[in-house]
Amino acid sequence: MIAQPERKIALWHLGVAYTAFLIGTLMGVLQVFIRNDALQLPAWLDYYQILTAHGVLLALIYTTFFIFAFFITGMSKSLGSFGPKVRLFSWIGLWVTLLGTVMATVMIIAGEASVLYTFYAPLKANGFYYVGLALVIIGTWVSSFALVGHYIVWRRKNKGQLSPLFAFMTITTIVLWIIACLGVVATVLFQYIPWAFGWTDTINVELSRSLFWYFGHPLVYFWLLPAYIAWYTIVPKLLGVKVFSDSLARLAFVLFILFSIPVGFHHQLTEPGISNFWKFLQVVLTFMVIVPSLMTAFSMFATFEISGRKKGGTGLFGWFKKLPWRDVRFTSIFIAMAFFIPGGAGGIINASFQLNEVVHNTLWIVGHFHITVGTPVAMTFMGLTFWLIPYLTGRRFTKRMQRLGFVQIITWSIGMLLMSTAQHVLGLMGAPRRTAYSGYNDHPSAMEWFDGIISNHVTMAIGGTILFLSAMILMYIVIMTMFVLPKAETPEQMVEFPLAESDMSNTPKWLENWWIWISIAAALIIIAYAIPLTHMIQHAPPGSKGFITW
Amino acid sequence: MDKKQSNHEVNLKGTLVSVFFVGIVIVAMWVAVYLMYVAR
Repeated sequence: MIAQPERKIALWHLGVAYTAFLIGTLMGVLQVFIRNDALQLPAWLDYYQILTAHGVLLALIYTTFFIFAFFITGMSKSLGSFGPKVRLFSWIGLWVTLLGTVMATVMIIAGEASVLYTFYAPLKANGFYYVGLALVIIGTWVSSFALVGHYIVWRRKNKGQLSPLFAFMTITTIVLWIIACLGVVATVLFQYIPWAFGWTDTINVELSRSLFWYFGHPLVYFWLLPAYIAWYTIVPKLLGVKVFSDSLARLAFVLFILFSIPVGFHHQLTEPGISNFWKFLQVVLTFMVIVPSLMTAFSMFATFEISGRKKGGTGLFGWFKKLPWRDVRFTSIFIAMAFFIPGGAGGIINASFQLNEVVHNTLWIVGHFHITVGTPVAMTFMGLTFWLIPYLTGRRFTKRMQRLGFVQIITWSIGMLLMSTAQHVLGLMGAPRRTAYSGYNDHPSAMEWFDGIISNHVTMAIGGTILFLSAMILMYIVIMTMFVLPKAETPEQMVEFPLAESDMSNTPKWLENWWIWISIAAALIIIAYAIPLTHMIQHAPPGSKGFITW
Repeated sequence: MDKKQSNHEVNLKGTLVSVFFVGIVIVAMWVAVYLMYVAR
């Protein structure tokens, strides 16, 4: 078990993460009822407040705090106990991120920031909302540098050695995160905050959106890579095998640093202020991300097959039956991976330049988000929660909890299938995103969208309700494993941190030479962004004043 | 050397078929939306 101080820091992160999860999922279920006309909100609360809170608390806050809990635990487990400075800065990071979270949440609740989680200008929130978001980023940087410091100390003590796979992957994710945040820090500090506090009258909208998506796409990988860490390093242990290929895993991760950042324009394919050449270049770079994604898919299937065959599975798919389906830690992550197949395919469609016109600004994107971040990432985190909290608290994960865990992941899967399929289909027909229910003045074409059995607000509401039920079961498991269940007394009752062995004997050392990867990443970012961003600044259209539409 | 030998011994035919399945899902979904795009 890792040292008590790190356990405490990680548990605090998990506590904040699941508080955000509780409020965020409640905001989610309210939305589907409002869209279904089954619920009328009180006058002091509107749809866009709820939508903003749902996005911020789940997509930004739950993920971030959970990820750092996982990183802190895994880094302490794989590199050894933190020194006093690393602990101190991990605490400072936690409190600064929490302060920012509270500030942003208060602004949303106060009705001062119904700007959705992407906070697109010219919608203008209270300046303190942006200050809160900036503090969230600064806090994560402090936590990140604490972990980088811990890694540097380890490398100094182990000169010439490759770091353990978990640590390598954590540092890769942190490198990606720090480079990605530069865009959002630039726009929040130099554009949004001066504008929101009235120090400047107008804002360069195109520039702000471009800087946001410079950050926004790698943000997706900041969520996804910790899930991939679990897939690469935890799943093989649950299956009783080694990591399939240490080199492949490391190469896939560094490719994410290179190709997940200079690609933000694929979120802006319908915007007029960017020339087609730069959009096309970034579309090509986006497609490069498919390479490490498919490397990961191959690696996972190979891990399953090797494990299944080792346990006696024969024939083409006999190994499949031999996988540990009764282990909720595995089954949850397997379902998460399965959801990512259509999720990833949808992502390729979104990024396919012209095809983006079919789905942009429609509910398809919302559905896509829910079967990428909302399930592959979130359900992996749920699967980790089942052992991470008892591991940290020293409590038992009882059979009853294991059964409840199954109920939770099955209900989440059913709810998500219903809701996200409805969103995908409605989106293809044209139903808009980012808005409350819109029937376009009861236009017959718009009314027809909602007539189908799947493409129906009722289906979405049923899906959303099942999801909320699932979320509450998870909250029960979290509370039980955190505070209530009996402490483990014997070694058999102790919950382990299932970290797989990874054979590094054939792994080339250059895979851990950060200067190579950071330099190539910087070069690609400059190629993809320098000229179009300069153009947006030098030939800026008249700036926009702020709009408060709520 | 041992590792090379053991890699050769591993039967990964199921993995090959599985990744083809993933590829087919990607292509099928892409073509479906492409046809929709062309039809509009």
